[in-house]
Amino acid sequence: MGFARTSIKGVTIYDSRKAYRGLTIYTPVEGNEVLLIDMRGNIVNKWKMKYKAGYNGELLPNGRLLYTGKIDNGPLKDLEGAGGIIIEVDWNGKVLWEYRDKNLHHGFYRMKNGNTLVHEWVRMPEEIVMEIKPDYTMDTNNQVIWSEAIQEITPNGKVIWEWIAHEHKELIKSYRCLLCPYDTWLHANGCSELPSGNILVSFAKINTVAIIDKKSKDIKWSWGSPGELAHQHSPSMLESGNILIFDNGYHPFGMAQNYSRVLEIDPKSNKMVWSYEGPMDGDMKMYFYSSIYSNCQRLPNGNTLICEGTSGRIFEITKDGEIIWEYVHYLDQKDKIGSRSFPVYSAYRYGMDYSGLKNKIEN
Amino acid sequence: MSIAKTAKKGVTYYNPKKAYNGYTLFSTYNHDVWLIDMDGYCVNRWKLPYTPGAHQVLLPNGNLLFAGMYKSHKELGLPVEMAGIGGVFIEIDWESTLVWKKIVPLQNHDITPRDNGNILYATYHTDGILPEEIARKLKGGLPNTEFNGKIYGDSIYEINREGKIVWKWKAYEHLDPEIDNMCDLENRVLWPYINSIFICKDQNILASLRVVSEVIKIDYRTGKVIGRYGKGKISHQHDSSELDNGNILLFDNGSHRCEYKPNYSRVVEICPDTDEIVWEYKSDNPSDFYSPVCGGCERMPNGNTVICDSWQGRIFEVTHDGELVWEFINPFVGSIVGMNTTMMWRAHRYPPDYPGLKGKDLNPDNLYWENYFYGPKSMNKDFRPAIF
Repeated sequence: MGFARTSIKGVTIYDSRKAYRGLTIYTPVEGNEVLLIDMRGNIVNKWKMKYKAGYNGELLPNGRLLYTGKIDNGPLKDLEGAGGIIIEVDWNGKVLWEYRDKNLHHGFYRMKNGNTLVHEWVRMPEEIVMEIKPDYTMDTNNQVIWSEAIQEITPNGKVIWEWIAHEHKELIKSYRCLLCPYDTWLHANGCSELPSGNILVSFAKINTVAIIDKKSKDIKWSWGSPGELAHQHSPSMLESGNILIFDNGYHPFGMAQNYSRVLEIDPKSNKMVWSYEGPMDGDMKMYFYSSIYSNCQRLPNGNTLICEGTSGRIFEITKDGEIIWEYVHYLDQKDKIGSRSFPVYSAYRYGMDYSGLKNKIEN
Repeated sequence: MSIAKTAKKGVTYYNPKKAYNGYTLFSTYNHDVWLIDMDGYCVNRWKLPYTPGAHQVLLPNGNLLFAGMYKSHKELGLPVEMAGIGGVFIEIDWESTLVWKKIVPLQNHDITPRDNGNILYATYHTDGILPEEIARKLKGGLPNTEFNGKIYGDSIYEINREGKIVWKWKAYEHLDPEIDNMCDLENRVLWPYINSIFICKDQNILASLRVVSEVIKIDYRTGKVIGRYGKGKISHQHDSSELDNGNILLFDNGSHRCEYKPNYSRVVEICPDTDEIVWEYKSDNPSDFYSPVCGGCERMPNGNTVICDSWQGRIFEVTHDGELVWEFINPFVGSIVGMNTTMMWRAHRYPPDYPGLKGKDLNPDNLYWENYFYGPKSMNKDFRPAIF
């Protein structure tokens, strides 16, 4: 959360001894750009895309940018997270691959085999609508409840694997946010392929992070429901097998006080093994909050990069929660002190030895 | 939002041509109440034996009326949901000398004085606990989250300066447990959670019901609810007051709104005849202005609105067009429910000709050290908050 007139933007903290040196890529919510900056906030590359940002941009190991665009005339453009197109461009922005589907939403995951996992909104059959919400009326605003599919897409754009959420009884029976509108049902907002080939996915509106068995399509593991998580984003599996989650703290249970947290969960015991809950050991929780968007990434030196999306703040903390690098997004120099903040969907750090940066930059 | 190096403190912006000149009163969660001028100089500091429960006002006689936290949740054995606990009223003069004190167990949130000296306040008195039948009928809330099987109810009391209760109003006797239902995600601990009380021109009472997301008007003579405002439009609001034009101004916190969009707060003006929002202020990036709890707003005679963004410890003033003309960031760190915080409950702006300021010495030099550390000359450098 930023102050209107008081925030200082750009790089505000940098402890070069403790920070994990590399480049940071981030995607602002407003606009059609992806920026790559160095530790001092200098812009190393800026991709101007043809489509507005739908969710995020990532630098692939082959040095290309993969990006979710939002199509202007999409039938679902008013839904949070709407996309419609995934585009792959080279360092200079030349389009090398794209995949269109008007029901695409949120992020993607480029798999080891070169295929891409995508999120897709699919119509929920009426009998299942009645099962999850017997009192649902098809009023003018909500003609359809959108269920979820995860699809695996080949480079040729062929769907070779599909998982459909409403085929799973445990999801139908699961607690679902009592306050969120029923335009989308589960609101998946990110997935990734695990070393085992299984798929890790986050469903915001049921406060659940789950692992889907790739072969049987069963849900092998899930955590967060009903009230442990609150509309979380960006689960990722660490080398230890633990799962790192950005828990936004939106529509929390009980008293309406909002805090965000970054949690590391051991999926074997479902115990929390590490967390960051705001500055000073969580003593000032209210200084870390992003209701929506956001992500977190564990870095090779044990630090954690966090994107507090709604305020456009990207920061890196040590294991002890000390902020050792911080950057706040801004548009131009006049925004640097004062003015509003500018939200960011997500941010990722790449070490200087990352293969995707090879031959791209001089030191 | 980061606190360390990226946020400036004190008065960060002031446009003297457009702001409504005056002195701003606020309390912090240590033991202080502060009066600052438009430049951010401290002109008076009241030191109190209690942390603020919530609210404080500068009376027309120049004294400070203050609700202090007499006992904490822990000492009272109450859940944290029952917030804003005060329990003691204190009137002190300009030099912090005690004038009047009264223990009012389980008082919470606002302190609303009348001209005759009486005080209206909300209380968690056990008298207001919902009878089983009403508790059963009450819609909303998370199932099985009652406090020891009970749901506390609010009451409004009016006491005179002898401490005698002269008027009582019990919420459950006048509200409808089905129409005035609770927010679905709240614990069924307290209903309807009165967090502000305002006396209207016609002597009736405007009360804000947090977990109902509704403001009601209570007929002072009969106790009947004669108006319901904002339902379905506002969420977990605070500080509803009646303006000179008859409209209702309130702080719409926005926590637990029935939507999935970035959280934001706003200040809205509602026309009571149509229940329509006729004016609102929200931030350019709506997330920049968000206070899930507390919050206050006050309309100035020149049409500006002074807003207390409690959660972020920020008081600011906007014109009718939403232009920011003054901003203050609280540099004082206090502590509430075991958490360090710069949050504050509510701010009031008093013009220089306010009767309570008549004859008062408002020279900032009287508070040399306070201004040395926290005045405008030392602020806005690389500054870390510290407990003062």
